[in-house]
Amino acid sequence: MAELTPKERVLRLLRKEPIDTMPFFSGMGMVVMPGIEKSGYNFPTVHTDAERMAWSAIWSARLMNFDCVVIPYDMTMESEAMGNTISLYADSEDILYPTIPNKIWSTLDEVEIPDKIWEKGRLPILADAIKIIKENAPELAIGCWQLGPFTQAGQVLELDLMLKGIFKQKEKVENILDKISDMIIDIGKWLQASGCDYITLREPGVAADLLSPKTFKNFIQPRLTRILAGWESPKLLHICGKTEPLLAMMSECGADGLTVDIKCDVKKGREILGPDVLFMGNIDTYTMTCDEKTPKDKAIEHIKGMIDGGIDAVMPGCDLWPAIIEENMKACVDTTHEYGKNPSPAVGRL
Amino acid sequence: MASKEELIEKLKEGVVEYEEDTVNEASQQWLDDGHEALEGIMEGLAAGMEIVGDLYDKQEYFVPEVLMCADALYGGLDILRPHVPEKEGGPKAQVVIGSIQGDVHDIGKNLVKMMFDVAGWDVHDLGRDVPLENFVSEQLKTDSEVVAMSAMMTTTMLGMKKVIKMIKDKNPDVAIMLGGAPVTKDVANLFGADGYAESAGNAVSEGIKMIGRLREYQKKD
Repeated sequence: MAELTPKERVLRLLRKEPIDTMPFFSGMGMVVMPGIEKSGYNFPTVHTDAERMAWSAIWSARLMNFDCVVIPYDMTMESEAMGNTISLYADSEDILYPTIPNKIWSTLDEVEIPDKIWEKGRLPILADAIKIIKENAPELAIGCWQLGPFTQAGQVLELDLMLKGIFKQKEKVENILDKISDMIIDIGKWLQASGCDYITLREPGVAADLLSPKTFKNFIQPRLTRILAGWESPKLLHICGKTEPLLAMMSECGADGLTVDIKCDVKKGREILGPDVLFMGNIDTYTMTCDEKTPKDKAIEHIKGMIDGGIDAVMPGCDLWPAIIEENMKACVDTTHEYGKNPSPAVGRL
Repeated sequence: MASKEELIEKLKEGVVEYEEDTVNEASQQWLDDGHEALEGIMEGLAAGMEIVGDLYDKQEYFVPEVLMCADALYGGLDILRPHVPEKEGGPKAQVVIGSIQGDVHDIGKNLVKMMFDVAGWDVHDLGRDVPLENFVSEQLKTDSEVVAMSAMMTTTMLGMKKVIKMIKDKNPDVAIMLGGAPVTKDVANLFGADGYAESAGNAVSEGIKMIGRLREYQKKD
């Protein structure tokens, strides 16, 4: 059996073709401090420069043996391109991702998406970073992502306006979700044209501990479906939080695979989805990979439990917190590659 | 004229059905009829919010509904609270509350804040994206009994650990509450916090339970 490159492994898995062993990859942030340090930069500077973004991603993957790189790292690029100012926390000693502290729009009436938004703000960096990664690390799969329309709306407006608007200003909320969905489709197409290997639609703001499944069905599901239909394969859908009540609807949205976080019991999830759906998750990204009190063996058991529970690929349930415990992180990756040699429910082995 | 019982029902129902006008009218009527403001807050508004908490636990209500109920409650609170006489002897209980630096979400924080507002505490709201040291300095300045912090993102919650240490080093008696989506009970224990609320939703559920306990406590007085 010939060993596949990480990129082949990921892409074959996403097509549900037989692979050599389970990849360790993600639809969300995979940048870690050892990779950032190896590339010689500090955290606040890797979000604003293509070289820095590309090399911190490449070194994170190489040092930890990840099968992919994922860019961008932060959730504010689109909102910034719409005119908001980001906070990079350049002076903080802590690892803090860029945020939008104050939003320019304060009502549901003001949202206006600029034409060709991918040419604005920091977004063009992404195409440059993809190019650098392709040239220098052709063995790695390149993942990109877009926030879903509801979560993205929370980056450009106060989220409570959207939440209350569902009841009080239904038409306006639908109008904003539609506008943002159009933008997400366009940016996703541009990322795919720029050379990313797979794309993830991540909609963490709609889990069943925030919105009702009925609201999900009426407001969110149709838009997720439309966005995914607008993109080429491979494309994934990720929702954080309580997802068991949503899984059946998630699987109707047209993604090639679904990913969940630690609040989903993957065994139950697999029962709901059946054996054919590509189903991935759900490393506890604080306890298992960052908490110095977690012994390596516990992290290994965590990974084995997930694989035994019926997932098709081990994925962090969220962005990896960059300040990883290296030993635990490597153990998670190695266990996935070693323990994942047997077929999973949806994907066979070579 | 509506009886006292009818007004209490109106206050409750207005909160549960998120009808701000109903709550405002009933609150004003309550005062005009000469009833005690605190009783209207506790038996009307807070009792209504307890029902909201039950509906949330039963998954009949979700966060949007709870936010609208909270708006209705605040409408009534703004009318009734100024008419609650200051307690004799001793200052009011105080809390410092905020979302931690790097986190610009404040829904959970605001729901927990509501619980303290209902209970009549002095709330020192630092807002969101709050630098760590501000929690410590505000606690020292106000000598607050409780510090409540929230972080919606995994990537910001480690900051809480630092704040807890900074506060406990200076003042070990301060009670610390943690909330936010990624904070599990294990993490709260690990960090040395005294209480936690798992999510925006749990924050409200837990907060409402605390209101319930406070109501029982007041009845015993």
